[in-house]
Amino acid sequence: MPIWMELTVLMLVAYAAGIALGWAIWGRAHTGRDADG
Amino acid sequence: MPIMPIDNHREAMAMGLGALAVTAVAIVTASATGPAFSERLSQQAKAAIAQADAAPVRASFVSANGWPTRHALLSGGEHLSERTRARAARAVGAIPGVGGVHWADGTGFADGRKSSPRPVVCQEDVAGLLRARTIRFEEGSAKIDQASEALIDEVSDALRPCLGSIIAVTGHTDSSGPEPGNLALSRLRADSVRDALIARGIPADGLRTRGVGSRFPVEGLEPTDPANRRIEFSVIATEPVRPTPVDTPGPR
Repeated sequence: MPIWMELTVLMLVAYAAGIALGWAIWGRAHTGRDADG
Repeated sequence: MPIMPIDNHREAMAMGLGALAVTAVAIVTASATGPAFSERLSQQAKAAIAQADAAPVRASFVSANGWPTRHALLSGGEHLSERTRARAARAVGAIPGVGGVHWADGTGFADGRKSSPRPVVCQEDVAGLLRARTIRFEEGSAKIDQASEALIDEVSDALRPCLGSIIAVTGHTDSSGPEPGNLALSRLRADSVRDALIARGIPADGLRTRGVGSRFPVEGLEPTDPANRRIEFSVIATEPVRPTPVDTPGPR
Protein backbone atom coordinates (compact mmCIF):
# COMPACT_ATOMS: atom_id res chain seq x y z
CA MET A 1 0.00 0.00 0.00
CA PRO A 2 1.50 3.40 -0.96
CA ILE A 3 2.36 5.86 1.79
CA TRP A 4 -0.25 8.41 0.63
CA MET A 5 -3.00 5.82 0.91
CA GLU A 6 -1.89 4.72 4.40
CA LEU A 7 -1.70 8.34 5.54
CA THR A 8 -5.11 9.14 4.04
CA VAL A 9 -6.77 6.17 5.76
CA LEU A 10 -5.05 7.03 9.04
CA MET A 11 -6.07 10.70 8.91
CA LEU A 12 -9.65 9.92 7.87
CA VAL A 13 -9.94 7.48 10.77
CA ALA A 14 -8.59 10.15 13.15
CA TYR A 15 -11.03 12.70 11.63
CA ALA A 16 -13.99 10.32 12.06
CA ALA A 17 -12.90 9.60 15.64
CA GLY A 18 -12.72 13.35 16.30
CA ILE A 19 -16.22 13.89 14.86
CA ALA A 20 -17.58 11.00 16.97
CA LEU A 21 -15.90 12.34 20.10
CA GLY A 22 -17.16 15.87 19.42
CA TRP A 23 -20.68 14.59 18.87
CA ALA A 24 -20.51 12.51 22.07
CA ILE A 25 -19.42 15.54 24.12
CA TRP A 26 -21.38 18.45 22.56
CA GLY A 27 -23.73 17.11 19.89
CA ARG A 28 -25.73 14.86 22.20
CA ALA A 29 -26.35 17.63 24.75
CA HIS A 30 -27.33 20.01 21.93
CA THR A 31 -29.82 17.47 20.50
CA GLY A 32 -31.25 16.93 23.98
CA ARG A 33 -31.89 20.69 24.43
CA ASP A 34 -33.65 20.82 21.04
CA ALA A 35 -35.91 17.95 22.04
CA ASP A 36 -36.78 19.70 25.32
CA GLY A 37 -37.52 22.96 23.59
CA MET B 1 -38.75 21.20 13.86
CA PRO B 2 -38.45 21.96 10.11
CA ILE B 3 -35.07 23.57 10.91
CA MET B 4 -33.56 20.18 11.95
CA PRO B 5 -33.23 18.62 8.47
CA ILE B 6 -31.49 21.78 7.19
CA ASP B 7 -29.11 21.65 10.17
CA ASN B 8 -28.43 17.97 9.52
CA HIS B 9 -27.87 18.70 5.85
CA ARG B 10 -25.41 21.49 6.69
CA GLU B 11 -23.60 19.26 9.20
CA ALA B 12 -23.33 16.46 6.66
CA MET B 13 -21.97 18.91 4.08
CA ALA B 14 -19.48 20.29 6.58
CA MET B 15 -18.33 16.78 7.52
CA GLY B 16 -17.99 15.80 3.88
CA LEU B 17 -15.95 18.92 3.11
CA GLY B 18 -13.84 18.23 6.20
CA ALA B 19 -13.18 14.66 4.99
CA LEU B 20 -12.17 16.01 1.57
CA ALA B 21 -9.86 18.55 3.20
CA VAL B 22 -8.30 15.80 5.37
CA THR B 23 -7.79 13.61 2.29
CA ALA B 24 -6.18 16.51 0.42
CA VAL B 25 -3.86 17.28 3.35
CA ALA B 26 -2.91 13.59 3.62
CA ILE B 27 -2.11 13.31 -0.09
CA VAL B 28 -0.12 16.55 -0.17
CA THR B 29 1.81 15.62 3.00
CA ALA B 30 2.53 12.11 1.73
CA SER B 31 3.66 13.44 -1.65
CA ALA B 32 5.99 15.88 0.07
CA THR B 33 7.52 13.48 2.61
CA GLY B 34 6.90 10.00 1.14
CA PRO B 35 9.78 9.82 -1.38
CA ALA B 36 12.34 10.97 1.21
CA PHE B 37 10.92 8.51 3.78
CA SER B 38 11.05 5.52 1.44
CA GLU B 39 14.53 6.55 0.27
CA ARG B 40 15.72 6.56 3.90
CA LEU B 41 14.16 3.09 4.45
CA SER B 42 15.85 1.92 1.27
CA GLN B 43 19.27 3.03 2.51
CA GLN B 44 18.73 1.48 5.94
CA ALA B 45 17.59 -1.76 4.26
CA LYS B 46 20.73 -1.82 2.11
CA ALA B 47 22.89 -1.51 5.23
CA ALA B 48 20.86 -4.16 7.07
CA ILE B 49 21.14 -6.59 4.14
CA ALA B 50 24.90 -6.04 3.95
CA GLN B 51 25.16 -6.69 7.68
CA ALA B 52 23.19 -9.94 7.22
CA ASP B 53 25.79 -11.11 4.63
CA ALA B 54 23.15 -11.18 1.91
CA ALA B 55 24.51 -8.39 -0.31
CA PRO B 56 22.95 -9.66 -3.62
CA VAL B 57 19.49 -9.14 -2.13
CA ARG B 58 17.90 -5.80 -3.04
CA ALA B 59 15.06 -4.11 -1.21
CA SER B 60 12.63 -1.91 -3.11
CA PHE B 61 10.23 0.49 -1.40
CA VAL B 62 8.11 1.30 -4.44
CA SER B 63 4.57 -0.06 -4.88
CA ALA B 64 3.35 -1.78 -8.05
CA ASN B 65 1.99 1.58 -9.29
CA GLY B 66 5.30 3.33 -8.69
CA TRP B 67 4.30 5.10 -5.47
CA PRO B 68 6.66 5.22 -2.49
CA THR B 69 5.69 2.66 0.15
CA ARG B 70 7.03 1.41 3.48
CA HIS B 71 6.45 -2.25 2.50
CA ALA B 72 9.69 -3.81 1.27
CA LEU B 73 9.81 -5.95 -1.83
CA LEU B 74 12.97 -8.09 -1.82
CA SER B 75 14.56 -9.47 -4.97
CA GLY B 76 17.83 -11.08 -6.04
CA GLY B 77 20.00 -13.50 -4.09
CA GLU B 78 18.31 -16.57 -5.62
CA HIS B 79 21.47 -18.63 -5.16
CA LEU B 80 21.63 -17.83 -1.44
CA SER B 81 20.42 -20.37 1.11
CA GLU B 82 16.91 -20.04 2.54
CA ARG B 83 18.46 -19.32 5.92
CA THR B 84 20.45 -16.36 4.55
CA ARG B 85 17.42 -15.06 2.65
CA ALA B 86 15.28 -15.34 5.79
CA ARG B 87 18.00 -13.53 7.77
CA ALA B 88 18.03 -10.70 5.21
CA ALA B 89 14.23 -10.46 5.30
CA ARG B 90 14.20 -10.40 9.09
CA ALA B 91 16.88 -7.70 9.13
CA VAL B 92 14.84 -5.53 6.75
CA GLY B 93 11.62 -6.24 8.68
CA ALA B 94 13.28 -5.13 11.92
CA ILE B 95 13.96 -1.60 10.58
CA PRO B 96 11.62 0.84 12.37
CA GLY B 97 8.95 2.04 9.94
CA VAL B 98 9.05 -0.97 7.61
CA GLY B 99 5.52 -2.34 7.30
CA GLY B 100 6.09 -5.81 5.90
CA VAL B 101 8.57 -7.78 3.82
CA HIS B 102 7.76 -9.79 0.69
CA TRP B 103 9.89 -11.57 -1.89
CA ALA B 104 9.37 -10.50 -5.49
CA ASP B 105 9.78 -14.05 -6.84
CA GLY B 106 7.12 -15.36 -4.48
CA THR B 107 9.35 -18.17 -3.23
CA GLY B 108 9.21 -17.03 0.33
CA PHE B 109 7.91 -14.49 2.73
CA ALA B 110 9.53 -13.41 5.93
CA ASP B 111 8.49 -10.92 8.51
CA GLY B 112 10.83 -9.30 10.99
CA ARG B 113 8.48 -10.12 13.83
CA LYS B 114 8.41 -13.85 13.13
CA SER B 115 10.65 -16.00 15.30
CA SER B 116 13.28 -18.22 13.75
CA PRO B 117 12.54 -21.94 13.62
CA ARG B 118 14.30 -22.69 16.89
CA PRO B 119 12.29 -25.77 17.92
CA VAL B 120 13.65 -27.83 15.02
CA VAL B 121 17.17 -26.67 15.85
CA CYS B 122 16.80 -27.69 19.49
CA GLN B 123 15.35 -31.05 18.51
CA GLU B 124 18.51 -31.59 16.46
CA ASP B 125 20.58 -30.60 19.50
CA VAL B 126 18.81 -33.17 21.66
CA ALA B 127 19.11 -35.83 18.94
CA GLY B 128 22.84 -35.03 18.77
CA LEU B 129 23.20 -35.50 22.53
CA LEU B 130 21.39 -38.83 22.46
CA ARG B 131 23.18 -40.14 19.37
CA ALA B 132 26.25 -41.19 21.28
CA ARG B 133 24.74 -41.66 24.74
CA THR B 134 21.43 -42.95 26.05
CA ILE B 135 19.39 -42.27 29.14
CA ARG B 136 19.75 -45.48 31.10
CA PHE B 137 17.44 -46.98 33.69
CA GLU B 138 17.96 -49.50 36.42
CA GLU B 139 17.05 -52.94 35.10
CA GLY B 140 13.32 -53.63 35.06
CA SER B 141 12.71 -50.26 36.73
CA ALA B 142 11.72 -46.74 35.74
CA LYS B 143 14.35 -45.20 37.99
CA ILE B 144 16.90 -43.19 36.00
CA ASP B 145 20.43 -44.50 36.36
CA GLN B 146 22.63 -42.17 38.43
CA ALA B 147 25.12 -41.98 35.54
CA SER B 148 22.43 -40.58 33.22
CA GLU B 149 21.55 -37.62 35.44
CA ALA B 150 24.25 -35.47 33.79
CA LEU B 151 22.83 -36.36 30.37
CA ILE B 152 19.35 -35.30 31.53
CA ASP B 153 20.91 -31.98 32.62
CA GLU B 154 22.30 -31.49 29.11
CA VAL B 155 19.01 -32.51 27.48
CA SER B 156 17.04 -30.03 29.60
CA ASP B 157 19.51 -27.27 28.65
CA ALA B 158 19.13 -28.19 24.96
CA LEU B 159 15.32 -28.19 25.26
CA ARG B 160 15.21 -24.79 26.92
CA PRO B 161 15.09 -22.83 23.60
CA CYS B 162 12.01 -24.93 22.67
CA LEU B 163 9.95 -23.70 25.61
CA GLY B 164 6.51 -22.84 24.33
CA SER B 165 6.44 -25.83 22.01
CA ILE B 166 5.06 -29.27 22.78
CA ILE B 167 7.87 -31.70 23.53
CA ALA B 168 7.01 -35.38 23.18
CA VAL B 169 8.93 -37.87 25.31
CA THR B 170 8.61 -41.44 24.04
CA GLY B 171 9.80 -44.49 25.96
CA HIS B 172 10.94 -47.68 24.20
CA THR B 173 11.96 -51.11 25.54
CA ASP B 174 13.51 -54.20 23.98
CA SER B 175 11.30 -57.19 23.27
CA SER B 176 12.49 -59.40 26.11
CA GLY B 177 9.65 -60.08 28.50
CA PRO B 178 5.91 -59.86 27.96
CA GLU B 179 4.72 -56.92 25.86
CA PRO B 180 2.07 -55.59 28.29
CA GLY B 181 4.80 -55.25 30.91
CA ASN B 182 7.15 -53.61 28.38
CA LEU B 183 4.44 -51.14 27.42
CA ALA B 184 3.79 -50.15 31.03
CA LEU B 185 7.53 -49.92 31.75
CA SER B 186 8.22 -47.75 28.70
CA ARG B 187 5.41 -45.41 29.77
CA LEU B 188 6.77 -45.24 33.34
CA ARG B 189 10.27 -44.51 32.00
CA ALA B 190 8.97 -41.68 29.82
CA ASP B 191 7.11 -40.34 32.87
CA SER B 192 10.22 -40.40 35.02
CA VAL B 193 12.19 -38.51 32.34
CA ARG B 194 9.37 -35.96 32.20
CA ASP B 195 9.51 -35.61 36.01
CA ALA B 196 13.29 -35.16 35.83
CA LEU B 197 12.86 -32.43 33.19
CA ILE B 198 10.18 -30.68 35.27
CA ALA B 199 12.57 -30.78 38.24
CA ARG B 200 15.08 -28.96 36.01
CA GLY B 201 12.65 -26.16 35.21
CA ILE B 202 10.99 -27.37 31.97
CA PRO B 203 7.27 -26.47 32.27
CA ALA B 204 5.03 -29.52 32.69
CA ASP B 205 2.32 -28.24 30.33
CA GLY B 206 4.64 -28.47 27.31
CA LEU B 207 5.66 -32.08 27.96
CA ARG B 208 3.77 -35.12 26.63
CA THR B 209 4.78 -38.67 27.39
CA ARG B 210 3.94 -42.02 25.87
CA GLY B 211 5.30 -45.52 26.01
CA VAL B 212 5.36 -47.74 22.95
CA GLY B 213 6.99 -50.88 24.45
CA SER B 214 9.08 -52.79 21.93
CA ARG B 215 6.97 -51.96 18.87
CA PHE B 216 9.53 -49.62 17.30
CA PRO B 217 13.03 -51.09 17.60
CA VAL B 218 16.02 -49.07 16.38
CA GLU B 219 16.51 -49.59 12.65
CA GLY B 220 19.04 -52.32 11.99
CA LEU B 221 18.85 -53.80 15.50
CA GLU B 222 17.25 -57.04 16.63
CA PRO B 223 14.12 -56.34 18.72
CA THR B 224 15.72 -58.18 21.65
CA ASP B 225 18.82 -55.96 21.62
CA PRO B 226 19.09 -54.04 24.94
CA ALA B 227 20.09 -50.93 22.89
CA ASN B 228 16.40 -50.63 22.02
CA ARG B 229 15.73 -49.45 25.58
CA ARG B 230 15.73 -45.75 24.97
CA ILE B 231 13.96 -42.42 25.31
CA GLU B 232 13.24 -40.27 22.24
CA PHE B 233 12.37 -36.59 22.17
CA SER B 234 10.48 -34.80 19.44
CA VAL B 235 9.08 -31.33 19.11
CA ILE B 236 5.55 -31.92 17.88
CA ALA B 237 4.32 -28.32 17.65
CA THR B 238 6.41 -25.40 16.56
CA GLU B 239 3.68 -22.86 15.75
CA PRO B 240 0.74 -21.74 17.83
CA VAL B 241 -2.40 -23.45 16.60
CA ARG B 242 -4.67 -21.09 14.67
CA PRO B 243 -8.37 -21.83 14.62
CA THR B 244 -9.67 -22.92 11.23
CA PRO B 245 -12.79 -21.14 9.93
CA VAL B 246 -14.79 -24.21 11.01
CA ASP B 247 -13.57 -23.86 14.61
CA THR B 248 -14.23 -20.13 14.75
CA PRO B 249 -17.69 -19.34 16.02
CA GLY B 250 -19.47 -17.15 13.50
CA PRO B 251 -22.66 -15.13 13.62
CA ARG B 252 -25.80 -17.22 13.58
